[in-house]
Amino acid sequence: MSSSSFLTNPRASLIADASVVINLNATARAAEIIKAVSNLFIVTENACAELEAGIRNGHRDHAQLLELIDAGLVRRASLGNAVMIVYESLIDGSTSRTLDDGEAATIAHAQEIGGVALIDERKARTLCSASFPHLQIASTVELLMHDAVAGAIGADGQVDALMNALTNARMRVPAEHVGKLTAIIGAKRAASCSSLPKHVREADAAPQK
Amino acid sequence: MDAGKSMSREKLTDTEIGERLRLARESAKLTQADAAALVGVVRTTLVAIEQGKRRVHMDELQKLATAYRTSANALLRREAVHLDMVPRFRKLQESSDDAVERATRLLNDLVRAEVELEDALGVSRSRNYPPERPILPGDIRAQAEQDAQELRDWLGLGPGPVTDIVSILDLQLGVRVYVRPLDGKVSGLFAYDDTAGACILLNANHPPERLTQSGVHETAHFVSTRRQAEVLTEDERFTSREERYANAFQRSFITPARAVRQRFAEITAGQSHLTRRHIILLAHAFGVSREAMVRRLEELKLAREGTWDWFLTNGGISDDQVRQVLGDLPDRIVNAARAQGLVPPRLALLAREAWKKEIYSEGQLARLLQLNRHEIREILDGAEKEESEANELVKLPH
Repeated sequence: MSSSSFLTNPRASLIADASVVINLNATARAAEIIKAVSNLFIVTENACAELEAGIRNGHRDHAQLLELIDAGLVRRASLGNAVMIVYESLIDGSTSRTLDDGEAATIAHAQEIGGVALIDERKARTLCSASFPHLQIASTVELLMHDAVAGAIGADGQVDALMNALTNARMRVPAEHVGKLTAIIGAKRAASCSSLPKHVREADAAPQK
Repeated sequence: MDAGKSMSREKLTDTEIGERLRLARESAKLTQADAAALVGVVRTTLVAIEQGKRRVHMDELQKLATAYRTSANALLRREAVHLDMVPRFRKLQESSDDAVERATRLLNDLVRAEVELEDALGVSRSRNYPPERPILPGDIRAQAEQDAQELRDWLGLGPGPVTDIVSILDLQLGVRVYVRPLDGKVSGLFAYDDTAGACILLNANHPPERLTQSGVHETAHFVSTRRQAEVLTEDERFTSREERYANAFQRSFITPARAVRQRFAEITAGQSHLTRRHIILLAHAFGVSREAMVRRLEELKLAREGTWDWFLTNGGISDDQVRQVLGDLPDRIVNAARAQGLVPPRLALLAREAWKKEIYSEGQLARLLQLNRHEIREILDGAEKEESEANELVKLPH
């Protein structure tokens, strides 16, 4: 999947996991970013509950999500009965083959409505690809690097949003997107991000030829 | 251990799930009636669910998990360890005490998370427990003195000061020991579980001398009354034989009689009075407070009874006087590293490894360690970097 291709269908809903909400909040421009894409943004009740339970150390992720919901930018969704069996298969079993409730509900709901699961977590992405090969998965960084976002908040705004997500929320970036990300934010800035792989962090220190 | 593990099957039985739900409800301090009302069933239905006679429906499980401040996955994960040591501590308290309750729950949660991660990674903590020395009839102080010396010898400590009780417990004995900030009134906790082994929690907010005392006090319980949970608080009155034993063991272990006598003889040789300078030098040599040193001298009849009280009524022994004798010593930061960070270092290493191997997701680890997503990312940050640093030269030989 190319980094921009996941938004080719404007009717496909984007189901965001709690970690994606945290990254979006960290950009400080969540509302503008969500408005920039025409796709419907959904967060499951389970992911909401997880953010609510995680209120500590001054993080306002749950309150910020409620503001986005109140503004009509994000829709809250419960799992339907038909997809409960999918959800159950993702939470019930051995640790290595299951996910926590919010991650599982994100995948199950995306499967239920034929949407795109927005999820950054490595294990969740691996399990999702193996169990639901036809389900489209995308990550926060793909959304933030999208042309539509650059168009809405400008190229500098896009760089700031990416840097905020990387530094304030320690956003995880799937390996296949690290190259493009580095090209957008620049090698020097990338080298300062502790959540990026070591080869990116050391690139800036490499001797210039 | 009140653990529900079944490694051979992928899913748990209704009875196992029921048991886990009961433990989670009790942990959340909810009654069966409270839980039944939350789910919208009658109490007898909830009882049947907890007894495994009726399978819990997924929507009910979700509501219960939320009310119990956990997740459905944490309740259903096959390998999840459901340890509940808290009731053992509750029995000790004459009245419920929130600070003690919080500390017992913290110890329980740390042990539970560590055991689960060890199981998941297939690692185990090796134990090297000293022989148990049950308290016998007769002079409790003499027994404590003898047992403390025996443990010192067994550990090969010699006559020197106990500089790092946490390392002794952790590395030499294989006890699970955690140093975390606790309410000021709680000094330490000890619990023993068949599967998890001996577990000790110490208050990181206390100064090193006091932390050492608490650590040795809990070690005394580990030596003498291993199967009984114990909590040490500041208002402890040491009335029971077990407590008097632990208190005497603590003094004998930190300030061994022979070593104190020898040191005392050396520094007071040819002098007529016990002075502040002597106390300061002795307290420094054994790594104890000035009061603990004087009281030990009184106990060993090296100073008259009431000596500490005399010092107190005559201006005490001030920090300035200590500085005049010892100079500006750097603050002792033993144990500080163990107290820092969101979770203890070994637990953090296990969590990073479990995440790197994709055994646990970020959400599962956050739940297990009771952290929010920001906090768990702080713990996991850099784990991928370590992977890319892999080099044959630093590969572990196993």
